[in-house]
Amino acid sequence: MLAGLVLSGTLVLSACSGNAAGGESQTSAGPGGPAAQGGTVQVLANAAFSHLDPVRGFDGGVNNFYRLIYRTLTTQGAAPGTEGTKIGPDLATDTGTPSDGGKTWTFTLKDGLFFETGAPITSADVKFGVSRAWDPEIGIGSPYAKQLIDAPASYQGPYKSGDLPTIATPDAKTIVFHLKKPFADFGSVVAQNTFVPVPKGAGAGTELDSKPIASGPYKVSEYKAGASLKLVRNDKWDAKTDPVRKAKPDGFQWTFDLDGATIDERMIAGQGTDVDAIAGTIQAATVARVQTPQLKQRTLTGLGGCTTYMGLNTTKKPLNDVRVRQAINFAVNKQTVRDAVGGSTLAELATSIQPPTVLGRVDYDPYPSPEGKGDVAAAQKLLTEAGLTNGFTFTLDTRAQPKMQAMAVAIQQALKPLKIDVKINIIDTSTYYEVIGTPSQQHDAAITGWCPDWPSGATFLPPLFDGRNIVAKGNSNLAQLNDPAVNAKIDEISQIKDVNAANAAYGELDKQIMALAPVVPLLYEKVLTLVGSNIAGAYLHDGYSGGIDLVSVGLTDAGK
Amino acid sequence: MTVAGPRTPTLLEVEEVGLAGDPGGGPPTSTGRILGKLARDKAALLCLVFLLIVVLMAVFAPLITKLSGWGPDEFDSGAINSDLGGVPHGSLGGISGEHWFGVEPQNGRDLFARIVYGARVSITIALSATVLTGILGVVFGLLAGFYRGWVDQAISRVMDFLMAFPALIFMIAILSSLPAGNRPVLLVVVISAFGWPYLARVIRGQTMTLANREFVEAARASGAKNVALVFREILPNLRGSIIVMTTLSVPGYIGTEAGLSFLGVGVTPPTASWGQMISSSVSWYSVDPMFFAIPGTFLFLTVLSLTVLGDKIRSVIDAGEAT
Repeated sequence: MLAGLVLSGTLVLSACSGNAAGGESQTSAGPGGPAAQGGTVQVLANAAFSHLDPVRGFDGGVNNFYRLIYRTLTTQGAAPGTEGTKIGPDLATDTGTPSDGGKTWTFTLKDGLFFETGAPITSADVKFGVSRAWDPEIGIGSPYAKQLIDAPASYQGPYKSGDLPTIATPDAKTIVFHLKKPFADFGSVVAQNTFVPVPKGAGAGTELDSKPIASGPYKVSEYKAGASLKLVRNDKWDAKTDPVRKAKPDGFQWTFDLDGATIDERMIAGQGTDVDAIAGTIQAATVARVQTPQLKQRTLTGLGGCTTYMGLNTTKKPLNDVRVRQAINFAVNKQTVRDAVGGSTLAELATSIQPPTVLGRVDYDPYPSPEGKGDVAAAQKLLTEAGLTNGFTFTLDTRAQPKMQAMAVAIQQALKPLKIDVKINIIDTSTYYEVIGTPSQQHDAAITGWCPDWPSGATFLPPLFDGRNIVAKGNSNLAQLNDPAVNAKIDEISQIKDVNAANAAYGELDKQIMALAPVVPLLYEKVLTLVGSNIAGAYLHDGYSGGIDLVSVGLTDAGK
Repeated sequence: MTVAGPRTPTLLEVEEVGLAGDPGGGPPTSTGRILGKLARDKAALLCLVFLLIVVLMAVFAPLITKLSGWGPDEFDSGAINSDLGGVPHGSLGGISGEHWFGVEPQNGRDLFARIVYGARVSITIALSATVLTGILGVVFGLLAGFYRGWVDQAISRVMDFLMAFPALIFMIAILSSLPAGNRPVLLVVVISAFGWPYLARVIRGQTMTLANREFVEAARASGAKNVALVFREILPNLRGSIIVMTTLSVPGYIGTEAGLSFLGVGVTPPTASWGQMISSSVSWYSVDPMFFAIPGTFLFLTVLSLTVLGDKIRSVIDAGEAT
């Protein structure tokens, strides 16, 4: 998924770097300690959730939040590190039984599952929830159900077209999916938000965006769009059916639309209910202030699990020349780009397309330079070969956001010695992805990011580099790379039945694509977050852009 | 023919009378007299000196930065601490022999060079906007005041409309919806479009009074054409008002440019601008206060100097008119 819309992803170094120093011995203190039952966790947030409807929302922030109120057939683990991204059963009793060579998948629901209304969750409700993904107005979130499950071409969701015949529910506990072609990792796909059960007939239009129907441990008690959100316990949820969610606190209280600097100040001060608060990544200017031992103990850090990159439009001159793209890859000074987002505490230099959290990823650097500071000599040599000794001009699209502009300026500066004149085109944040996702409107290059939907190359390389995925609107193949060898390799890997072998093959495909240099991998951004002094059970979750895993977080002292 | 004959000398005569009056009574707006008075005023002199420094800085920016050793867009990764979010090394925002005013956090660009180049942006935009509003204001003000009738009606209604408009909001809307293009030119055009009515109003009022004065009547009676009346009789007498109004508007335009840049719709990066520097320093106020203090001080002193100077000029001219 797009990193900007989100920041979803993964994380690797597990929780608390600060805690490692002194926190381990005094287990009760610090964000890593065990959480007590009860209390309300406060969440201070910059932006509101995109959607509460599980079929509409699709980014690291809402995916993490959805686990509090919704359940899916399978789900990711709830632990730091790779344990967290391991898929396990949730509503279903296992991660699915394939048949017909992986083309048909059967899941069985557990006993004792209820909606917040008290109605039992049946396989028909799961099917109804999934079929909403085909509705052209509602199904704007995770695309995998639509891409993989076989459906009549004219099917437009349950409200318009009625029942979806290709998903079978032989009884109230069994659901059978028929896929377009075999897919070995379908057990991970049903962890996507599109597989949230919705009571049959409910949720038309924007109904669920204002009043979600909970299947998870919490339900929405009060929601003021863009201002606040309050969750209370859903007493119909039975902990015995749910091995993943600890759900210690009695409730959650979100406050949206706070300025980033305000959040940082409040978290540092830690007054009043802010001791029970968690928040997102701190601002670059705050990094220097959280270095005191007291504050450091309250920080969590880890990789966000996304790759921030600059896409080079391979259809535009002179970027259609692979040597020119390679030269840019050599010349970009990733150190200055990293400083632009806040230095080494907030990002690592990227070398390959896939971030370190993706399984099967190979650590390699196809365009090395000393300390990532750019190799102008190597770049100049390639440009001379391409006959561009006198440089050229290209337009770089970037978002109207200080951090993104600072990155663009760093790239502009790094390419100056090559006489490459980078024109920075600032696009309003709200329309940015629409513009760069429209091939007729995008310019020569754009800075953006991508996060895996689950830690596999399958959700990273094909969406970004399959030449047959270039569409007139909502295009994610920014480079417009349409290379027959790459396309063939993608098809070949999709046939591999063993998930591990497929992931390893994606690691090799990463190298094959980078040889064509359609993008410049810039950074693997990190999460550095400060939590309240009364927060416990907090760790960054690899699967949710390095956000604090909400189903495990709680308070040290619930009575405070 | 016989009628035309005596006409020409009369016109000359009128002009001669005007010219003859110059050395004697001394027009209240004589440049020499104003400068003389200002030079004797300490506050005005200080302002003038500071403005002179800023203007020289702007004009000789490339030479000055060659001397200081760092260009405005040059990154200096060595001057910042990447592990602490990019905060400058050393106290006071990294002020040292190398970087005279310290460096910008996160990229290590030299603040001195950016202040010097920022002065260019501020002054060019403010002066261009002043010239443009000056021309527009004087022309429309004269037209409205001299011709009256429907011309006055049309121009005055446009002025009312523009003055009643929430200008800042409209400027932000226009600038953020227009494609990037040539930002400085756009800024000048947008600022001028909303700035000219303030000058034009004053000019219109004064033109109306002047048009009824005896010397204009006399010129008209002796057969002077409208163009001659406007440019030879009325315009010279508006000189004082124009000087005062424009001097006082320059600081306003500098402030507007800085404000628009602060709000993110000013010049595009990497062009240095004081407003943009202040905007990006906001989040750094607690760890690197110098990043805010330096451009803030320059903006403050420039606007203050221009305002004080404009005030002094007005009092000198007012005093001249009174005598």
